[in-house]
This record gives sequence, C-alpha cells and structure tokens, in this order.
Amino acid sequence: MSDSILLTTLDEAMRWGKGKSLWPFTFGLACCAIEMMSAMGSDYDWARFGADVFRDSPRHADLMIVSGTVTKKMAPRIRRLYDQMAFPKYVISMGACASAGGPYVRGYSVVDGVDQVVPVDVYVFGCPPRPEALISALKQLQDGIVSGKVKH
Amino acid sequence: MEDKVIEVNFGPQHPSTHGVLRIKVKLDGEIIMDAYPVIGYLHRNAEKLSEMGAYPKALIYIDRLDYVASLNNELGYVLSAEKLMDAQVPERAQWIRMMLVELNRIASHLVWLGTHGLDMGMLTPYFYCWRERERILRIFDEITGSRLLYNYFAIGGVYSDITPKAIDMIKEFLADFGSKLEEIQAIFAKNYIYVKRTRDVGKLSLEDALSYGVTGPLLRASGKKWDLRKNQPYLYYDQVNFDIPVRQEGDVYARFQVRIEEMRQSIKIAQQVLSKIPEGEYYNKKFSKPMLVRLKGTGDSYVPTESPKGEYGVYLIGDGSTIPYRVRIRSPSFANLSALPIMLKGYKIADLTATVSSLDPVFGEVDR
Amino acid sequence: MIPVESESTSKEGTKIVYVSKENLFAYMKERKDEGYDILLMVTGIDYKDHLEVVYHLLSTANGNRLIVKTKTDGEVDSMVPLWAGANWHERETWDLVGIKFKGHPNLKRILLAEGWVGHPLRKDYPLDKKQYVNLKENGEDYVSYDPREGY
Repeated sequence: MSDSILLTTLDEAMRWGKGKSLWPFTFGLACCAIEMMSAMGSDYDWARFGADVFRDSPRHADLMIVSGTVTKKMAPRIRRLYDQMAFPKYVISMGACASAGGPYVRGYSVVDGVDQVVPVDVYVFGCPPRPEALISALKQLQDGIVSGKVKH
Repeated sequence: MEDKVIEVNFGPQHPSTHGVLRIKVKLDGEIIMDAYPVIGYLHRNAEKLSEMGAYPKALIYIDRLDYVASLNNELGYVLSAEKLMDAQVPERAQWIRMMLVELNRIASHLVWLGTHGLDMGMLTPYFYCWRERERILRIFDEITGSRLLYNYFAIGGVYSDITPKAIDMIKEFLADFGSKLEEIQAIFAKNYIYVKRTRDVGKLSLEDALSYGVTGPLLRASGKKWDLRKNQPYLYYDQVNFDIPVRQEGDVYARFQVRIEEMRQSIKIAQQVLSKIPEGEYYNKKFSKPMLVRLKGTGDSYVPTESPKGEYGVYLIGDGSTIPYRVRIRSPSFANLSALPIMLKGYKIADLTATVSSLDPVFGEVDR
Repeated sequence: MIPVESESTSKEGTKIVYVSKENLFAYMKERKDEGYDILLMVTGIDYKDHLEVVYHLLSTANGNRLIVKTKTDGEVDSMVPLWAGANWHERETWDLVGIKFKGHPNLKRILLAEGWVGHPLRKDYPLDKKQYVNLKENGEDYVSYDPREGY
C-alpha cells in the first residue's frame, strides 16, 4: 500500500502544479524571437517541460517572455499587456537588449532594459541566446516556483 | 437600418503579424474599406549609431536589420564600402561569399514558409521547415561560430576559412534537400482549402507595383522578369547557370510558387559554386588589422544586391575621414509594405492575414 | 530639355546630376517619361550650412540608374504625383531630417512617436536630452521631457 499513497501539504501540491504547467505568451519583438521559435521547434523541444501551449491572448497566459529590443514607442503597450494578465504571472527577459539595452544603449529611442517597465524574474544573456540557454532559464524558474522562492 | 463604418485596431501584438505592425482597418460589415498601417515600434536608430564609429564598427548594426538572413545585409554594406575605398578582394573570398549567401536565402524562405503555414492554420509545415533550417544553422555554426547573427564578412574578404568538415556537411545537405522540399510543397499545394483561400486574394497589378517601388518575389509574381543576379550581375553570378521564376497572376498563390521555385534554383547555384571554388587567400592582408589601419574613403557609393525580400543596398557618403558621413539603408520591406492599402481594398477581413503574411515583412528592416 | 547644374560620377559608375530646386519637378517628369519607372529611395543629408535631398532612379527596361541631387534650405516639391512610392519615403525624411515637401497629402511622423521634438539625424541634435513616451486614454502617444511621466 505504501507505494501508491503520497502524503504532502496543499501548498506544496499547488506549487508543483503551478510550476510544471506554465503557459507562455507569444511576445516576440525582434531577432531573439527567431531563437525562441527554434526552441519551440523539433530539435530543441520545449514542449517536454510542460510549456507547449502558446496562448495568444494575455488573459489566458501566465508566462511572458520579452524577446527583443524595447523601444520608447512600444513600452507603454507592454505595460498595458502585462496589466491584462491574471495572477499568478511571471516574466523572463530574453537577450541583451531586453535585459540591459543591448548594443543600442547610446541611442535616442531605446529603453535600457525591460525591468524599467515590468518586474522581471529571470534574465537570460546572449545576443541572441542559444535555445539551450532559454530552456535552462525555464528550468531555473520552475525550480524557483516549486521550492517557493519565486512568488508572483 | 443605416450602414456604419467601424474602425478596428489590428494591434502591435497579434499572433499573426510577423513582428510589430499595427493596422487601422475600416470595415463595412466584413468588407475592408481602407487600411492604414502604423510602423515605428522597433525603431532602433541604426543609421545614427553607424555614423558615430569607424567603418567596420557599423557591421553590428547592419547585421540586425534583416535578422532572418543576415549575411545578405553584410554583403550589401561590404560591397559598397569596398568600392568606396578601392579595395581588392581575393577570388576565393568572393566565391565563398556567393555560396553562403545562397544558403542563407534558403534559410530565409524556410522561415517564411513555416510561419505562413501557422497564419493559415496549419501546424505541421512549421515543424518540417524548422527541422531543415536547423541543418543549415549547424553548417553556419561550424564555419562562423554563431547561429543567427554572424559578423563574418569583412571589408577585404572573410574573417576565417571554410574547413573540409563544413564542405562535407554542405554536400550532404544539398544532396537530399530537394526531395524534402517536394514533400513540404505537397502539404500546401494538394490542400484544397489552402488553394481556395489563396487564389485571387491580395492581387497587385504590374503598374501599381512599379509605381510603389516594389521589388523581389512580389514583382516577379506580378509578371515582370527582373532579378539583379541576372540583369545586373555582381560577384560571379554570370558564370553559373540558373533560371528566374515568373508568374502572371499577382495573388498570394503565385508568390508562394515563386518562392518555392527560388529555393530550387538556389540549390542548383550552390552545387555549382561548390565545385568551382579556387584555392588562394581569403582575406586581403592590407585590411587585416582594421582598428590599427585606419580605413578612409571619399565620394558616394551604392552597390545594389538581391536579398530574399527584394533590392537591398547601402548608400555610403564619405568625406575623407575614418567615420562615414551618411549611411542610408535601402530596405526592400519598407517599400513592399507601403503597397499594402491597395492590396487590401475590397477584400474580406479573413483575407487580411493571408495578404500580410505573403508580403514577408521583417521589422528590423522596416523600422531600422 | 531641362538644364542641369553639374554632373559627376559615383565610385561604382552611376551618373550623379545636380539640379536646381525650381527645375526639379519638371526634370523628374521628363525622366519618368523617358523610362525611369522605379523610384528606389529618397535621402536627406545635413551639411552644416545647407540641406540636400537625393533621389535614386532605376529603369527596368534597359537597366540604367541615375542619382539626382538638389540643394535646399528646408522645402522641396513632392514627387507623389509621379511615383506613389514616394509617400512613405518623404514622410521618413521629414521625420528624421526635417525637410518639408510641398503638396504631400499626409506629412506626419512615421517612425517616431507623435509629439516628438526635434529631428534626430541632424548633426546638432542633442543626444543627452532624453524624451519619454507614454500612452493617453484614447490610444495616442504623449511625449515629455520629464522622466516621471513616461518610459
């Protein structure tokens, strides 16, 4: 009997369910979006980790991956889309442009990183980052949610 | 009951725009009366930043214009800069450039084909196309060290030589890509719903295309046989045999047929180039330390090339110093997108995704 | 035949022609009737004491190319009646360099947000005075110099 019954707390079971079934929100802005599409493809399969349903509407999704440069004209619209998502919600900022401004930081129309617009949980560096780096970031986020360190 | 015209916003975030495009559409029932595109959500000031540094430093901004096929961007800039400075390029470097640019053309059309299938509601061709594209990206990883944005062409040649392992990988890929392409084409062409949704949709006549400055596969699908690789050859395109596909109808199905045929001709060109590469140097030694040897140029220079989207070139004006005075990028997607309102007038709202997807806009290039 | 002011050649062999501002529209109309059917792009350049506008022309019948330049101090005739593709190129030149086109149907900003102050590709644009953008309730942009009011 002891190998078919599991004892746990309700909090732990809910955190396990939240972390292992994240639904991403397609928000590809620039070059990093092509690497995100490669990670979704058949060689680096992203659906194995529970994130296989890419929802198109912000009301249904709970993970926003900001991939690409954030310009001043686009920044208020990102904030509006983040406000339309329902709790619990998480944000991954992918690439050098979304994390810190990238190679365009000396210009007149680029925001220095998306963390001036929305709160970010995991940063991924690279220009563009390889699909393995993006999958490792997803794994870190999942470990953080399941252990309770990352709160929404 | 009165008829009212309502305005619908097809916003900057939408699953089927290829990037950040906003269209304000005026609808009467289901018929589109007018469409007004709004762009500029990815304006990354590439021209101003290129005018703040030396000539080789501008390559990082030029790379990220058409981020799907970035060797074509570098080729346009490097050819203009070499004419400006009267630089000699060794023969082996020019043949290597030709072969890699044709492989990049195949990769760019595969991205278009996969996302076009997603827009029309088909999920299978997406996985087939990206499986083939991964093989090309592994070849580039072996030669240049990076998958997507290369910085490999230099003023005076290429930065490193191709290895025998890379040549074997290219031969193996070109040998069986033709049969895979037939399989992917059959998924689209034998599907009755796809053909019904794309015939006689989004038509562009030849006079409108010439008046709006449209070039590339869109002009060839509207009836004009114009391709810069045949009409005004650059590099060594006059020494290889290939054909130019042309269609007369000008609708979405004709553009699909033109792009598939272009992929077949690219395989033919790449196989011929692979057997003709001579031995020799790959980099002109006079330009080999670009930060120490200051590159200077005077005058105007504009060399046009044929990128997968149309005619692409960089217009450089130098005034004798090490920093260019004006860098102006002629992007084909900007001119192609300006013809969108006349392609949409009178059609239904369900035809909008098919038309926008057949234009193949890449927003790094439109907004620069 | 409209007279030209001077001629020269670019580094790869294309003919460059300087035309005065008053003769520009008549000269371009002659070229369009001669067979130059594609206008490739319109460029604006800021030399410190005057501005210049550059047009690239292409003829698909015989492959000839031509570059037409003109000097101005802020205003030029619009080419929209001859080639419809000049619409977006002229809007971009107004947005980034600040040259007005007489007779353009809709001369508004295209790449920067509505309400931006200044023309960035001029050589005396102050890069350290940053502007911030936010969104009003009706969907339009709102630009100000105050960092607390936008991104």
